[in-house]
Amino acid sequence: MKTLTLPATAGSIPPLSEFVREGAVAAGIATDELGKLDLILEEVLMNVARYAYTEGSGEVEVRYMAEKGRLRVEIIDSGIVFNPLEADSPDLSRGLVDRPIGGLGVFLIKNMVETVHYRRENDQNVLTFTFP
Amino acid sequence: MNIEATELDKAVLLKVSGRMDAEHAPEFERACQTWISQGRKHLIADLADLQYVSSMGLRSFLSVAQKLQAASGALILCGLHGLPRQVFEMTRLIGVFQVFETTEQALATL
Repeated sequence: MKTLTLPATAGSIPPLSEFVREGAVAAGIATDELGKLDLILEEVLMNVARYAYTEGSGEVEVRYMAEKGRLRVEIIDSGIVFNPLEADSPDLSRGLVDRPIGGLGVFLIKNMVETVHYRRENDQNVLTFTFP
Repeated sequence: MNIEATELDKAVLLKVSGRMDAEHAPEFERACQTWISQGRKHLIADLADLQYVSSMGLRSFLSVAQKLQAASGALILCGLHGLPRQVFEMTRLIGVFQVFETTEQALATL
């Protein structure tokens, strides 16, 4: 399992995505799937950057394990208890006028991964997903 | 992300290329706001060279479209394909926006 820890900010998303892409290549995942992987990571990491550290700043750790044709990724922060998977599903039936502009990130995560789980462990939030 | 604007009689054409992610989505919103402030009511976003859109990008598209709708205008999308199209379909936003294959088709509706 490989690990990279960076500040939990939006600016860390590109290097963390690049890091996980290396794992995807090692796992033999098709290159045309890498955009989806970037998307999942951006959505998860933006949630951490926005909500994990309400007071002050902190770090986010990304770990991956490359398996044959599949990648297992863990995203860990030491912020407040926050399970993004508990967010209400957005109402996708609404028209333009009353369609809320937020709330789609977690929906996209859930729809683009094979499995996604959250656990609180050692005072840390741990989100695990497998891709594709 | 790169945004190339062309002012036409009936609309402003915005050719958006690259990645509309958390870092770049606000640029699109600012570019659109500049035209809205100048009284333009119809913006056509040509997305044929857009490679990537995240929820932050969707947020920007929705925000701009809602502002234009309130002003009796519209944000019209063209050339959606690949991952961005999948994201619009998955979130059922494809039915919320006016979406055309080409900018010519979009212009013909105005």
